[in-house]
Amino acid sequence: MREPNAIDFWRGLALVTIFVNHIPGNTFERYTYSQYGISDAAELFVFLAGWSIGIATRGRDGRPEPRLKSVLRLLSRTIEVYRAQITTMALALAMIAGTALVLDNPLLLEWHNAGGFFADPIQTMVGFALLTHQLGFFNILPLYVVLLGIAPIFVLLARVSRVAALALSFGLYFASLVFDLNLPSWPGEGDWFFDPLCWQLLLVLGFVAEDWNRRSPWLRTWSVRLVPLGIAIVLTGIVLSVLEIRPDPLLVPEPRLLFTFDKTYLTPARLIHFLGMLLAFQTLYAVLAPRLGPVAGYLAGLGRNSLAVFSIGSLLSLAAQLVRFWTGGGVFVDVSVVGSGLIALGFTAWFVEWRSRKPRPSSPPA
Amino acid sequence: MALPQAAALLAASLTLAVGLTLAATCRPVRAEPSAPAPTAGPATVVSPPKTMVMTAPGPDGAEALDVTLSPECRVPGSKLYTLARLGAVKLALTEKRPVRVLTVGSSSAGPGASATYPVKLETALERSLPDVDVVVESRGMQGEIASGAAERLRNMVAEIEPDLVIWQVGTHDALARVDAEDFANALDETVQWIKGHEIDVVLVTPVYTASLAADEYYNSLVRKVQEVAVREGVPLVQRYEAMRYLSGQGQKGEGHLLGSQFRLNDLGLRCMAEHVTRAITLSLLQADTVVTGTTKTPTAVIVPPRDAAIKAASPPPSVLVAPGD
Repeated sequence: MREPNAIDFWRGLALVTIFVNHIPGNTFERYTYSQYGISDAAELFVFLAGWSIGIATRGRDGRPEPRLKSVLRLLSRTIEVYRAQITTMALALAMIAGTALVLDNPLLLEWHNAGGFFADPIQTMVGFALLTHQLGFFNILPLYVVLLGIAPIFVLLARVSRVAALALSFGLYFASLVFDLNLPSWPGEGDWFFDPLCWQLLLVLGFVAEDWNRRSPWLRTWSVRLVPLGIAIVLTGIVLSVLEIRPDPLLVPEPRLLFTFDKTYLTPARLIHFLGMLLAFQTLYAVLAPRLGPVAGYLAGLGRNSLAVFSIGSLLSLAAQLVRFWTGGGVFVDVSVVGSGLIALGFTAWFVEWRSRKPRPSSPPA
Repeated sequence: MALPQAAALLAASLTLAVGLTLAATCRPVRAEPSAPAPTAGPATVVSPPKTMVMTAPGPDGAEALDVTLSPECRVPGSKLYTLARLGAVKLALTEKRPVRVLTVGSSSAGPGASATYPVKLETALERSLPDVDVVVESRGMQGEIASGAAERLRNMVAEIEPDLVIWQVGTHDALARVDAEDFANALDETVQWIKGHEIDVVLVTPVYTASLAADEYYNSLVRKVQEVAVREGVPLVQRYEAMRYLSGQGQKGEGHLLGSQFRLNDLGLRCMAEHVTRAITLSLLQADTVVTGTTKTPTAVIVPPRDAAIKAASPPPSVLVAPGD
């Protein structure tokens, strides 16, 4: 188990933010930083995933591990994430159906995109396995599966030339924005909630930034010099989101996606805002960590076990939604569901680490 | 499927209604160029004429069912819709170009088979508006109108650039117990935005379910959708009222857990295409003066006799009853 560090800390914060924001309408929602900016926790999560790939595919001395090992490592992670998505989706559908049965309430079956599964299970079961049928709030892991699946291309290319990897990534991003490229949803019409062709840019940026940050003093100097720019961007983001100022998507010039604020396509405004946040808060962990004490440890613990915590967090936020709907909500309910959820997330992180320390009971005796 | 029958019945009853209206109003009118030319005209009438008598209100004032709908979806007009003008669709008809429809809402997301809501809607609309090409795009939407979903809808509208948005709204906000005022404000603002871009909107209220019939909050949310429709002068399809009415007619034997209620949900989906089509067709027949749901008087509708079977007449006064009556 590694010591708390900035990456795990911020990833833990992103996980808590996603958990709270996935209980729409709850009292604490308005206190998450997502409400005060153009980008939100999803960007942070994907960027840090890229950063972690940079760390994972290199030895302690910074030398890249053998190519085949990196490819297999990413493949194994892709399978792990796919498995997590299938499991959480199945449990989520069961929770929705079960609650609809208990409360005798078919309205619940129309929960964010679940209706298709119950109305048309034959096609939807196929879409479920193909990841082309996604429940609302359960669409980050499908993105992550695709990103990890294509990550070897960028990782291997970056070993030859980081500039080439960045150019490929930016090229794909701009082409997707200009030509409106996205993966299709099926069954049903429409596209993925998170467009992997756009969001891959954040993963690649995270991966390349980790590498550059480690070996380029020039980048470190300049990222510190640019802190004021980052702060200006963050302040602009606060003003725009509090006053709800955003471009009218029917009035912007073509290509429309270069100008709108659109989460699906990670449009440039969101990207710039996220990079601004990164500049502004890059050194904050060193300031915060000693003052936050156990909170920093808690968040870093979540971040170290992000896949398990994210999966359980998705199910817990769904459970919290169902409880809020059933009870009618209110501050007391919100404090209870969010509070017990945060404890459960902490337990999940602890439990995963406990399990990996203990010898498996099922493993044959040596 | 009952849709061909429904279309035939529609044509039949409209023929009769037009005749009555023309006789009653005696207002000679000129043909509108925008009127879609009928292909078959009255020749499509295949049903026995006696069913048509039921379209008129009964002698005791009790409201008759709208027999233009297929039997299992039949609901009195006042439980079904309020009407308003659909300028953008009319313009598309005038310009003789395909009518682009975007249908948004939780239940339009799912099924990929051919017999689904969007496909049914497209078929029903094309039957109802002969010689008009209707293109229906369907999108599911996650999230609440009061938070991010309104923004996503705008991006969706910008992507598809429809003439008409059919929006079943309120389910997700109800599930999240969003404050009813916040919901209404966000909905109102979004409807204004869509209308401001010369795009028509039809709102559809969320489903009815017996377990929420007494839920104050849920009912207030349904009322908010009705209020916004009236305030913004957009047609409203009262899926909630229609399902409540149908559930009252339902077979009592199936009251067991998930029995009738869940079938009703499925039925509601199936009927929704018909209900929406009916509301749109009748709204297209509105005179250009805006008629809101609160108007009790029948509208004088300008109908050239040649178009009678299709363009139809002013709906019976009961159609225009205020929402939530």
